[in-house]
Formats: sequence, C-alpha cells, structure tokens
Amino acid sequence: MKLPAFRSPGPTLWGLGVFLIILAVSAPWIPVFLLTLFIGLLISATLAYSLNLITGLTGYVSFGHVVFMAFGGYALAFGVGTLKLPPVAGVGLAALVGLALALGIGAVTLRFRGVFFAIATLVVAVAALYIVLEITELGDGQGITLNVGFEPLSMFYTIWGILAIEIGLTFWITRGRIGYGIRSIKSDEDAANTLGINAARLKLFAYALSGLFAGAAGGVYAWNVSGAFPYDAFNLVFSLRMLAMIVIGGMGTLLGPLLGAIAVYIPSQIFLTVLIGFEYIIIGLVVVVIALFVPEGIVGTLRKYIPELRGILE
Amino acid sequence: MTRVLEVSQVHKYFGGVRAVEGVSLTLEEGRVIGLIGPNGSGKSTLCNLIAGVEKPTKGTITFAGQRIDRWPAHRVVEQGIAKTHQIPKPFLAMTCRENVAVAAMFGSNKQKDLPEALETAGRVLALVGLEAKVDVISSNLTVQERKRLEFARVLGTGARILLLDEIFAGLSPEELRDAIALFVKVQGEVGFGALVVEHVMRAVLTVSEHVVVIEEGMKIAEGTPREVVENDAVIEAYLGVEATHAST
Repeated sequence: MKLPAFRSPGPTLWGLGVFLIILAVSAPWIPVFLLTLFIGLLISATLAYSLNLITGLTGYVSFGHVVFMAFGGYALAFGVGTLKLPPVAGVGLAALVGLALALGIGAVTLRFRGVFFAIATLVVAVAALYIVLEITELGDGQGITLNVGFEPLSMFYTIWGILAIEIGLTFWITRGRIGYGIRSIKSDEDAANTLGINAARLKLFAYALSGLFAGAAGGVYAWNVSGAFPYDAFNLVFSLRMLAMIVIGGMGTLLGPLLGAIAVYIPSQIFLTVLIGFEYIIIGLVVVVIALFVPEGIVGTLRKYIPELRGILE
Repeated sequence: MTRVLEVSQVHKYFGGVRAVEGVSLTLEEGRVIGLIGPNGSGKSTLCNLIAGVEKPTKGTITFAGQRIDRWPAHRVVEQGIAKTHQIPKPFLAMTCRENVAVAAMFGSNKQKDLPEALETAGRVLALVGLEAKVDVISSNLTVQERKRLEFARVLGTGARILLLDEIFAGLSPEELRDAIALFVKVQGEVGFGALVVEHVMRAVLTVSEHVVVIEEGMKIAEGTPREVVENDAVIEAYLGVEATHAST
C-alpha cells in the first residue's frame, strides 16, 4: 500500500527555506531603505502566519490579534525602556506576554464559536486600549518613547529568525496527528469531540502559539518605531490587515500568509507616499472580490485550477 | 474482562423541558441493546448523555466502575464509548481513510503514528464495505455511504461500547437488509457492545437481544424484542402513535 510521505518537507517548505536563506545572506548588502522595507514585510508576514495558526487552521476568526501585537510592543518598550533589557531580550519578553495573554483570553473566548468568538475578540481589542490608557507604568496614556540606536541588521535578523521558526512550526503542526486534529475541529467541532479530540485544548494550543508570535512581531514593530503608543499600537487596522493577508494568500496554507503579506504590505508602502487612506479602500475591495470569487485565496485557487500544483503548493 | 456501562436514574432537563426522566439501563461489552421510542422521546438525548456531549441534570453513568457522567466527550471516547451522529458529520474535506484515521489517532486506540492509523482506517473501511471508497473525499459520498462512514469512524476509535443513533434510518428495504447483515457480521467479528437507537422496528428487533422503550423521557417497558412488541403499553404509546400518524 502506497502512503504519502507526510513528514517529508515538500517543495513549498524548500521554496520558503531558500527564499529566507537568500534574504538572510544578502541582508548585509541590501541598502538601508530597502532593508527597512524588508523588516516591515517580515513583521507583516510574521503577523499573517500568526493569525493563520488560529484563523487559518481552526477556522476561528479573530479580530483581536492587534491586542497581542500591541501588548508585545508595550512589553518591549517597558523591557528596554524601564528594565534596560537589550532589544532582542525585549522581543523575547514580548513573545512571552503574547503567549500569556493568549492563554488567558483564549481560555474564555474560545468557548464561543463562529461569529460569537469573532465578536468577543473584537470586544477584547477595543477594551484593551482603554485598559492600557489607565496604566501609569505603560506611559499613562501617552505611550513609551524609546531611545535605542537604529540597528536595522539586528532588527532584520531578529524578525527573520522569528518568522523562520514560525513557518517551521506551521509546517510541523499541519502534518501528522495534531494537524488532523486541528483540521477536524475546523471541519466539525462536535464530530471532533465525539471522536476523542480534546478540541478545547487543541484550540488553546493553536491560539497560544498564535499569541506568542503576534507578541514577538509586535515587539519588533515597537523596536522599529522606537516605542509603543496607544492609538497606533491598538489600531484595529492591524487586525484587519492580518485578516486581509491570510484571506488573500490562502487560509490555513503554508505559503499563503507570505504571499498575502507581500500583496498587502508592498502596496500599503506605496500608497503611504501617494494617497494616505486609499490603501484601505483597495484592500477592502480586494478582500470582497476574493471572498466572492476565489474564497480559497491565491494558494487555494492555484491548487484548484492547476492540478499539477497540488503536490507542490501547500 | 468485560466492562459494563451502567446508566442509573438519569434525568436531563432543558429549562422546563424534561427530555429524560429517570432512565436506567445496563449494557456490557459484546451485547446489543435496542432503544426505541417515538419522535422526541429522548433517545438521542440519552445517547448524548452517555457520550458526554450533554451532562445529566440528575443520576449517574458509570463505565467499568468509573463515574463518567461529568466527563467531557473526548474523555468518554478515550475510555471506549463512542457515538455516531444521527445526521452523519463526516470531515468533508478529508477522504474516508483520513476520516477514520482521525478516529484511530484520537479515540481509545490512540494510534499516534499516522501511517499506522491510515492502515487501520483501510481495514475498518473494508470491514463496513466501503473498501471502494477509501480514497474518495467524503463530501462525495451518498447519504447511505456517509452512514457507513459514521459507523466506520466509531469502530476506528476502538471503542468497546458503541452508541448508534439511527444508523438504519432512511434505507430502502433492500439496503436495510444488507445493513442489518453487515451490522451482525461486524458485531460478531469485533465483539463490541452497542446501544442501537432506532425508529426502524425491524432493524432493532432483529439485531438486539434486549430492547428498552422510552416515551416522553421515561422508560415504559423493556425485555426481549418479542416481549416488547407484545407489551400493551408499548403498542399504545409507540405503535399506537405511529398508527395514528399513518392513518392521517
């Protein structure tokens, strides 16, 4: 009997690996303005893969991911500003804060399903801003400004490493037993439970990992903008961008979040210099068009219409 | 050692609705019990209570001497009790083999190795006569095939007690005959215990050695199939209702 080799890396992972290695090797020679663009892109990709872990894999749509990112940013700002940690350690702190928050928030919100979960995460996101505004240690509503040197290369390699680990974990999770468990939950949670899957635990696992990476990405973001400021950090647009990225790229896939991040981030940088705000109209239109005509996103659609790609694209 | 499922004086209220009121039954591995009753009599609710999908308001459920009535559903399955869904709920994007492999990996078998679980799945699918559909995506199955897949999945969990919610419903007389023969054959081979919840009298009476009848959440009769069909309360409550429906 011929069984597919489930643990073999496959062309998609190889491709992603080659892409990341080329980036890493050439980074020292990339001009600074391009390097900062790449840093922004990698932060976006990390956020997209983060949301992919929960929304893409389990089907639980979260509007609240900005919370992990924002608190990650505050954790870095507090760690570097107040505790005098080196920025990389601050990113580690940001990841831990994201993880802890996701465990706490997930333990409650993941009891809701479908649209109720989505609403609960949205409520958490709105409430979180007003909580932070009240905390004296976190800048008393003014935010925290950091005075760190501009080190694009160490910033680049930090976010690069986070993304590489995240892609590796996504691959590992989607294969084998856990992957089947998570896909079962996405397909039919009641049926999953009655076949012995501890859906509550698996969902929390995916959500916690998701929070960890969103927190780390938020840490690097704060490092990049030299501080954490409430109305910027908690801007719901971050949540919507993350959703747009995975919808455009292909939910639950291995390559989709990166494609989505490129598709959303690059134009957003161009629009930044041309017509501020125009970006959202375009993203909104693109998401509507995708949802209506190619709901599987770039990766899913390619797989659907080009059968030869099925074994290659994940 | 054969393990015994013991349901005693179980009640389930949904607000003011008394879905199950004081039902008791005993089922051991290797035996087949039928559970019949009119629509809305609480059969499915009772199944859900045993499977851990719902928690009883009152009463206890034990399996192999352990109280299981407060356990979450996945834990009940791990201990060896699995239920089918009245409306089949296959994982639509997966093949039949993958559907059953999920059961093998997470049920009481806990086959953590994926290739091994996929092989088990192949064997189980052959057992229920779905060998031709092994690599078919389950969304392409007919309703009857979905019911068989549902049966294959509970078998795949390795459960020793199966709660089978209307797996014989909606079949043509010919399909029903085949399904009954298949059930008897598989039960003989695997030796599981089963609670067969059914509307179709012929199926229940053929496959079960003992039948429990409930009406409005209460047990009104039990005994061998013959005793039950001759019981006046049953004829009035169950068959009577059916007959009235048939004539209108």
